[in-house]
Amino acid sequence: MSYLMCVLLLGLVLGLVAVASNPSPYFAAMGLVVVAGVGCGVLVGTGGCFLSLVLFLIYLGGMLVVFAYSAAMAAEPFPEGWGSWPTLRLVGGYLVGVAVARGLLGKNWYEEDWSGFDSILGLTVLRGDVGGVSLMYSSGGWLLMGGGWVLLLTLFVVLELTRGLGRGALRAV
Amino acid sequence: MTPLIYSTLIISLGIGTTLTFASTHWYLAWMGIEINTLAIIPLMTQSHSPRATEATTKYFFAQATASATLLFAATSNAFFTGSWDILQTNNPLSYTLMTLALAMKIGLAPLHSWMPEVMQGLTLLTGLILSTWQKLAPFCLIYQIQPHSPNLFMALGLLSIVAGGWGGFNQVQLRKILAYSSIAHLGWMVLILSFSPPLTLVAFSTYLMMTFSLFYSFMMTKTTHINSLSTSWAKIPTLTALTPLILLSLGGLPPLTGFLPKWMILQELTKQDLALVAVLAALFSLFSLYFYLRLSYTMTLTMPPNNPAGTLPWRLNPSHNTLPP
Repeated sequence: MSYLMCVLLLGLVLGLVAVASNPSPYFAAMGLVVVAGVGCGVLVGTGGCFLSLVLFLIYLGGMLVVFAYSAAMAAEPFPEGWGSWPTLRLVGGYLVGVAVARGLLGKNWYEEDWSGFDSILGLTVLRGDVGGVSLMYSSGGWLLMGGGWVLLLTLFVVLELTRGLGRGALRAV
Repeated sequence: MTPLIYSTLIISLGIGTTLTFASTHWYLAWMGIEINTLAIIPLMTQSHSPRATEATTKYFFAQATASATLLFAATSNAFFTGSWDILQTNNPLSYTLMTLALAMKIGLAPLHSWMPEVMQGLTLLTGLILSTWQKLAPFCLIYQIQPHSPNLFMALGLLSIVAGGWGGFNQVQLRKILAYSSIAHLGWMVLILSFSPPLTLVAFSTYLMMTFSLFYSFMMTKTTHINSLSTSWAKIPTLTALTPLILLSLGGLPPLTGFLPKWMILQELTKQDLALVAVLAALFSLFSLYFYLRLSYTMTLTMPPNNPAGTLPWRLNPSHNTLPP
């Protein structure tokens, strides 16, 4: 299990490097999918399986799918993958940065303890992640409404920006 | 823009700042800042020109980077100290990152490069909202961070005074001049924050009043360039007489109000045994004074060449709301 967590975390960092090195949106979307999937694996490993499921469904299966389709609409004749020289340079740079950060901030070679969702609160009926969801709907009601307002505002902003054909800022494709 | 959408965006601007002001939890404060950033994006693209779209994109990138860094700093503070309270940011990594993130949000040097380009692409009204209202929420958070040493704030402040003065030196576009003036004034505010927070508030409130007046006087004469400013003296003569006062107040000359924050800040710095910092701040403010003086020179003190019909706009139907006309 520790080994699996190591592999997942390595995939997370490599996916981050893959996205940040500025390839074409095709490949960057694939990098995002890998990062999201691996991140969900990390969540499962620390005990938050419900959150992981929700993340898979909504983020990967909702938002990333929409993003992948809109990236497909921005098709280029010569897409830059990670083999092309400018992207490869950035990949190398970021990997060096990761190594430097590990050297500066990392302490030892063995695994440190992640507290996870199970061991924080002691003996409870619900795990941490499901208990958090129930709290969000009960005590955090106002914050939930605030979060809902922000999402609605984002929708209005995007619709206003893409109204198209002279009345919006971006032309309708 | 339809009135419903317009009012939704304006109300969201109000909600965002109010939320940040009313919050003690970092999440809520960050949420308020994000609401502000989102709500102003369509307002910035209202003129539907490629320049406005470019300015909006640059603004969004800068603010999104700063917001992400702010959230990371808040989360790392929660990780190390266990507290999400704004007044309990004790971890050095956290408050340093937060200071830098908020400095990028309001446009302090050396994170100020987005400000002049963004302001140049906006209408004067949107630039006014950007310079005044959008600074309130991050400033509230800067006020509440209590770092252990004044070094970072002083460095940001002094660099901003230098960058704001020196950068605005060669500008002829009024919106860029206003952007650099904003950078310099925010530098004065942040310089004194560790020593005397009330003086920061004095500087901020006087800056708000003066910048609002200057933006509004440019809006009334519809000038965005020194060339158009030079032939605008006949449009609203009262305004032509009053604008130099606003400009010199921004430059910090006594007996105008703009001198008050600078005087008190210099006094407080001297009391803290930082006379060199005070001298440097005062000297580099002379650069700002130079371009304020240049604006008042072109607007009021001289009459650049124009045909005789240029002396008559004040006789036409007024499109402004000043009294007397």
